[in-house]
Amino acid sequence: MSADEVELPLWRRLVINRFVLVPATIAVAIALWNGYVATHDHGIVVGRVVDAAGLPVPDAAVVLWVLNFTTYVEKTRATTDSAGRFVITNNDSHNIRLAAEKPGVGRSARVPVRLYFRAQDIELNEPLILSGAS
Amino acid sequence: MYRYPRWPIHLALVGVSLLMLIPFYWVLKTSVTGENIFAYPPSILPKSPHPFYYVDVWYYIPFARYFLNSVVVSAIAVIANVVFNAMAGYALTRDFPAKPFVLLLFLSCMMVPFQATIIPAYLITGRLGLLDSYWGLALPQFSTIVCIFVFKASFDAVPRSLIDAARIDGLSEWRIIWRVMMPLAKGAIATNVILAFIWSWNNFLWPLIVTRSADMQTLPLGLARFLSYQEDTTGALYAFCIMVLAPGILLFLLAQNEFIRGLTSGATKG
Repeated sequence: MSADEVELPLWRRLVINRFVLVPATIAVAIALWNGYVATHDHGIVVGRVVDAAGLPVPDAAVVLWVLNFTTYVEKTRATTDSAGRFVITNNDSHNIRLAAEKPGVGRSARVPVRLYFRAQDIELNEPLILSGAS
Repeated sequence: MYRYPRWPIHLALVGVSLLMLIPFYWVLKTSVTGENIFAYPPSILPKSPHPFYYVDVWYYIPFARYFLNSVVVSAIAVIANVVFNAMAGYALTRDFPAKPFVLLLFLSCMMVPFQATIIPAYLITGRLGLLDSYWGLALPQFSTIVCIFVFKASFDAVPRSLIDAARIDGLSEWRIIWRVMMPLAKGAIATNVILAFIWSWNNFLWPLIVTRSADMQTLPLGLARFLSYQEDTTGALYAFCIMVLAPGILLFLLAQNEFIRGLTSGATKG
């Protein structure tokens, strides 16, 4: 009897086939992704605000806009600390924009930030740069 | 042993295959770039691809709900197709009075478009109290004549002596179908599953008519709703198309061997 003629046990034939393994792999991937989402969806947005020279700007106002259907509306505000850091804790969108402003220092461009899921916790790589003070 | 080189044929086939895949590639590329399809000159490779159009689709409409509805309706349609078509296909392999007339009736019914029967179908579904329900969505797709003939062709290829032996062993007609014929008709089953799934999955007109609540809508209706919501939709629209197409393509890739076997079984004799 050759190796090809050896009949596999029923449970192996039922389980080890592409009609089970492929959906099972997809199900595992979905479960892992949902697990990741569940542990990273606190709506925390962390970033820094600097001036044109790259120095931290304390007490700058940071505004968060969220996409409301077709337009962006202001959702919340935060203020930077002495190191120029800000923390926003109640973002519930996946499509946001951020901007900072401080009288006498200037204002930043409105920076679009796209997230992989709603309320994703994120720390911005690039700081918001204030410029254009009159 | 081949008397002539095979590579020119393979090369030509690869070329034709790539040509056929261009529209799929273009949809995929647009779904990750949002590039206007009328942009000139068109870019062959995606520039700055990102998955955020897929995220938009997921959140702009209740995609998960539509997906669930499509899965449930398609599952009902697939199971019903396999059961009813196998029974009808087996019946057509048997001899009975007026069999040619029944075959002719089936073939002629294939020429009647669904749009022509949609009003009686709606009335029947309404009388059964199945409007705006999964069963009502799947009901007109419980059986398809093409798939009945796929089963018939597959069952015709089974030796008559095997059926006679099963009958001598005391099996009823019902058990002959499920214990003898069906295990020998895996290709026909795969063909039925794929065709029923894709037809049900892509169906637009019937769900449009039979559903009343937004919660019962299927993915094709969701696509229409999505188009009516959004103005700048190029990237998200193509992402939606990919998300709708993916399950059907996956199913076909999984069962393509059986599918081809099912379509060609009974095509040759001897």
